[in-house]
Amino acid sequence: MSCNYESDFASQWCPGCGNFDTLECLKTALCNLQIEARDFVIAAGIGQAAKLGFSLRCNLLAGLHGRALPLALGLKMANHKLQVLAVSGDGCFYAEGGNHLLHNARRNLDITMLASDNRVFGLTKGQASPTAAADFITKIHPEGSGAQPLEPTLLALSAGATFVAKAFTGNPDELTAIIEAGINHQGFALIDILSPCVSFNKVNTFAWLKKRIEPIAESHDRNNRAAALQLAQFNPEEKIPTGIYYQTEKPVYGAHKKALSGEPIAGRTQNYKPERVKPLFARYR
Amino acid sequence: MLNSCNIVIAGAAGQGVESALVLAGKSLLKAGFHIFISADYQSRVRGGHNFMRIRFGDQPLAAAVSTINYLLALNEESLTRHLPNLTNEGLAFVMADDGLNVADQRVVKIPAEAGPTTAKTDTFTGIKLLALLFTELSLSPEILKESVRQQFAKKLSPKLLQTNIDTISELARFFTDRPVQPLPFSSSPDPQRMLVNGNDAIALGMVAAGIGVYTAYPMTPSTSVMNVLADCGPQMGIAVEQVEDEIAALNAALGASYAGARAATGSSGAGICLMAEAIGLAGIGEIPIVIFDAQRSSPATGMATRTEQADLLFVAHVSHGDFPRLIIAPAGHSESFYLTAEAFNLADYWQIPVFILSDQAQASSERSVNEFDLEKVTIDRGAIAKEPQSAEMLRRYEVTETGISPRAFPQFSKWLISCDSHEHNEIGQVSDDIENRNRQHNKRMRKLANLAATLPGPEIIGAPADNLLICWGSTVGPVLEAAEKLRTQGHNFAVAIFQYLYPLNRERIEKALAPFKEIYTIEGNYSGQLGKLLQMETNVRISSHIGKTDGRLFTVEDVVQSLTELVGGGQ
Repeated sequence: MSCNYESDFASQWCPGCGNFDTLECLKTALCNLQIEARDFVIAAGIGQAAKLGFSLRCNLLAGLHGRALPLALGLKMANHKLQVLAVSGDGCFYAEGGNHLLHNARRNLDITMLASDNRVFGLTKGQASPTAAADFITKIHPEGSGAQPLEPTLLALSAGATFVAKAFTGNPDELTAIIEAGINHQGFALIDILSPCVSFNKVNTFAWLKKRIEPIAESHDRNNRAAALQLAQFNPEEKIPTGIYYQTEKPVYGAHKKALSGEPIAGRTQNYKPERVKPLFARYR
Repeated sequence: MLNSCNIVIAGAAGQGVESALVLAGKSLLKAGFHIFISADYQSRVRGGHNFMRIRFGDQPLAAAVSTINYLLALNEESLTRHLPNLTNEGLAFVMADDGLNVADQRVVKIPAEAGPTTAKTDTFTGIKLLALLFTELSLSPEILKESVRQQFAKKLSPKLLQTNIDTISELARFFTDRPVQPLPFSSSPDPQRMLVNGNDAIALGMVAAGIGVYTAYPMTPSTSVMNVLADCGPQMGIAVEQVEDEIAALNAALGASYAGARAATGSSGAGICLMAEAIGLAGIGEIPIVIFDAQRSSPATGMATRTEQADLLFVAHVSHGDFPRLIIAPAGHSESFYLTAEAFNLADYWQIPVFILSDQAQASSERSVNEFDLEKVTIDRGAIAKEPQSAEMLRRYEVTETGISPRAFPQFSKWLISCDSHEHNEIGQVSDDIENRNRQHNKRMRKLANLAATLPGPEIIGAPADNLLICWGSTVGPVLEAAEKLRTQGHNFAVAIFQYLYPLNRERIEKALAPFKEIYTIEGNYSGQLGKLLQMETNVRISSHIGKTDGRLFTVEDVVQSLTELVGGGQ
């Protein structure tokens, strides 16, 4: 197959934005995995990171702020054979969309979530995101937010995600490998991608991140949830482990539903005739 | 006038009112009567006061009446509460203990010893009263037994099932000296006839339409649609998900629709509030979707198990901005089936959100209907794009004269499809170009005007007359019956039934309403919302509004009284 995901869309990101790296790594991963454009859909939220889908020639459902995951749920209900990537940023996934993260992790919805995490709202010009440090200064928070930063990997692990990883846009080989592993994973895969925002985050810069990231030791047992929970309780001021924290096999969303086996509902729909309702009439007599 | 008989079964929650109701309904259906059942229940699991009106007759019924012919009171409170509505010739059945303090010759007290010794607990009260009533009406107790077997064979132990059967037999011969009172009308058994509530009809309409995905968060009085779909889903190929909130409900349904399934969500007004933003996504993204709103008493939590018709103006405007939408309010149970099925065709054809507006009174009232005619249901998925030679981006938002751009479904087509919540160009890329915005916005709004032109005006019944009553949804049944009653008293009211509430076909409506001198609205709300909408969109002028906000449905008597006051003026 040809690896042609090129779109004519003029990117709206700032030069040096980590999202460019994520885009390239995603293209490489899709190419390496030989995934045809017609076989996957990007469900996007709103924010700078969420615009990634426009830069690919692919199926795209660009929805509302915070709501990429419920779109992904619906996509998988209608067509459980689609590869679904939920793409957005930390503000979208972890603030407005936090509730959906909990519940789709619980469902073990078989999707790959690419969360570009720069600890700041870029599109609205520099407000604290849920992953920002308590003392991160912004126009709204001249004294800091005072709120503890959320650690997405810890949240996803406790909610039941079956693949939890952290990557850094400055390490494209590792990021590409993690995206490939996430797409190959059967179940809910959260990839929190540390991505510098060159315009609005002057604290957690490329250099700041580069200094702290540390690939997970070879000896880490990915299938051990307790070890993964331990790993996720790092102090970000000191070091940030990158790699796959956790990966395990569990029944995916829909495995217990007869309607979601075999031919996808979207494909069966053309065979649905009004007469299908007739057997139900007996119960009303 | 309609020949009918009205039974009320009343008691506390948890006392078996529901079971008695189901048995009565199934049995009267088997006996060949037309039925209208309405439930008046509280939002609690135990205690309080619930009552069910079971009206049956020899012709189709579409409304509840307040006047009671037979009262089955499961406790003393039920007896004292409902006796004032019992006709002079009526009878009330009550266990002797419950009727100790009531001296009224219409009250038939059943001694505690009636029935088998194994059936002494309160839970058998309902079936005892029902068995006596059947005997009184000269209806076969065998029908009641058959219903018991049909309903409870799987739920009860064989022993308990037999106790229920024995209870019916013993009560049927308990009073040897009471004269039977055969009904003043006959039955016409039809094995195809069904007893459905409004929500059943909507769920069945969804199945007939080929629904594949239903996502919702439980909310009274909409939840039973999800129950029906979840129950048949595994066999029928319908995926149902109870999601984390109504925001997820509509977004997930939109994801499913984009992917090619027929999809819907449902809730009550408060849940629709949470869906507001995603309704706009359906609008700008041109994603077909059906949204079911079972209206209830409002605002906020309101009265959970009570009815109201106060969501119309909300639903007509919900979500920011201008975009096309359609609101259908089926007036009745059969209409709920057919119009729900049609809603999916209209959603697919126009690629818009379509609201099915029902209300608690219709959602939970049961009515006997002819078996739904599947010949009348068609499935039309609307415009589908021709397959390209090779994979390329679909002009998903191609600017066309009709405003409709052909669709395709990912993986089932070579097209690559981008669907976007931003303003977008023809291939679904975010764009704020001036000319593009104007083209895309105009294209969407053209659909609204084109759609309006295809919609029917109101159905007018009882013309010619000087006065016209406008109604919709659950209010239609009682208004039609009340208007007929008033006609016999020399007051002529025609009735206009609106089922397509937005957009309004201005030309057809103005023409249909032109002959009338005075036009009144009767709606289960405070402000006369359909009247307001008509006055916004057409030259129709409303003389006055008869509203109701107490959360209870309109009975025929309610409407008769209101109309009598209206024509009586200051007399």
